[in-house]
Amino acid sequence: MEAKFNSDAPRREDLATVITSLEPDQLSVAKAKHHCPRRHLTGPEMIVFWALRIYLVFMLGVVLYQIWKGAR
Amino acid sequence: MTDRGSETETPRTIAPATPEFRVQQADDVIITHEDIDRAHDRERVWATRQQHGMRSRLRLLWLLIGPGVLVMLGENDGPSMLSYAATGARFGIGFFVPFVVLTFLMACVVQEMTVRLGAATHRGHAELIFDRFGPFWGWFSVADLALGNFLTLITEFIAIRAGLGFFGIPPWISVLGALAVLFVALMTHRYWTWERISLGAAAFNLLFVPVALLSHPHWGNIGRSLLTWKPLPGGITPDTVLILLADIGATVTPWMLFFQQSAIADKGLTTRDIRYGRLDTVLGAALATLAALATIVATAPLFIHHMSAANFEAAEFAEALLPFVGQWGAALFALGIFEAGMVAAVTISTSSAYAFGEVAHRPHSLNLPFRQGKSFYLVLLLEAAAAAALVLIPGIPLVYIVLLVNVIAVLAMPPALLFLYMLVNDREIMGGLVSPLWANTLALGVVLVLIGAGILFGISVIAPKALAVLGGT
Repeated sequence: MEAKFNSDAPRREDLATVITSLEPDQLSVAKAKHHCPRRHLTGPEMIVFWALRIYLVFMLGVVLYQIWKGAR
Repeated sequence: MTDRGSETETPRTIAPATPEFRVQQADDVIITHEDIDRAHDRERVWATRQQHGMRSRLRLLWLLIGPGVLVMLGENDGPSMLSYAATGARFGIGFFVPFVVLTFLMACVVQEMTVRLGAATHRGHAELIFDRFGPFWGWFSVADLALGNFLTLITEFIAIRAGLGFFGIPPWISVLGALAVLFVALMTHRYWTWERISLGAAAFNLLFVPVALLSHPHWGNIGRSLLTWKPLPGGITPDTVLILLADIGATVTPWMLFFQQSAIADKGLTTRDIRYGRLDTVLGAALATLAALATIVATAPLFIHHMSAANFEAAEFAEALLPFVGQWGAALFALGIFEAGMVAAVTISTSSAYAFGEVAHRPHSLNLPFRQGKSFYLVLLLEAAAAAALVLIPGIPLVYIVLLVNVIAVLAMPPALLFLYMLVNDREIMGGLVSPLWANTLALGVVLVLIGAGILFGISVIAPKALAVLGGT
């Protein structure tokens, strides 16, 4: 959690502004420290994820085929 | 979570001014330069909220707009404007005029979700995907983004080169000049300043409007096409499908999701700002639609006069338009193409840098001084420099790259939208801000349209004769 401050002499007012203006989870250190927990993917969700991945790979193949056809 | 949320919490003790401020709360919190810059921006928003009347509301809008306008005008980039120009030149005023309006409505539906997600979580898109779905799916998503962004960046420098090429500027000067502009905008080390410079540059996207007016458009035809979605010369052919896909790819692409959500988090928008975030997005979409339609209208004379635009690149479009819009019109068109490439080079490289920082857990903010955000700025600059260098290689097949970019963007959208859809419906991170039924219906509609367009493209490549079923030739 080492975050070096770059400014030479940051002002006390700046700190007050941070405290009153930012939500606690907007602080960069808070964001670095706390992460959203991992969620469990259900069976149907996994199927949709994989289906769209296969769709993308297949369609990229189609694009490459079109380029190959165009280059001939 | 509310704006100035600390008002309802235990007051924090302010520590003495030392190079590292520490605030004694439940645990030690280090406040960084990035936080201070963001807090100053938020303070202005808070102060404006305390005032009443139309003037303060307009000021609030001025303070809160940015990510939405930038993402929409940024997406009106080099290949997009080239797609619209090709649309006007090949099909004239007809089906594609209302179709482009529809694609921007789709973009609004999609980008509104990123506004809510960014404001509710204060996290970037890549970070949320990694955290919620794990690194396996996270890397897939970031790989899609990295590939798409790099290819798109190349086309932005093609646009920059071609746009300035119209004025006789050598490619290497154009490309180096663009890199210098990118560098100067970043060296402000302040999100607010960077955003205002980029917004100022993005306003030049509207240069296509005077070009359209100089082409003396037939307003009756434009109105009729908007109402009837006709004509579509030639029907559904492989050529039509390619333009269809290119025009969709010109409005909804994965980098937009990553950019707007990360920019909203960087700007510091909170749940109280969502209404203005939506306004920002709609305003951006309206401006971008105007510029897109203007480009189609501006190049429609090429269709009317049966001039083939099959192999036109940006500068050739400007030259071909000379007889119809004059020297000034053609110059504005070329300048517009340059602007489109320049602004998109800034926003797209920024979206890559945000995503890199989020997944590598490195500092990622435009409020960071260079020393603190070295990796963020270096990713941004190196990606842009690599793309710029490729454009200068003689003999590289630029037309194929331009073609690839918009098509890949459309094809990569459904998986990217699935992540967005699941995140924005995730009650654990969104609380009460999950999508209502109508928003989910619209989002699923967008996914279906994108998958349908992708499949249609596949058919047009593998079995073009099958398009005859749809009334094509």
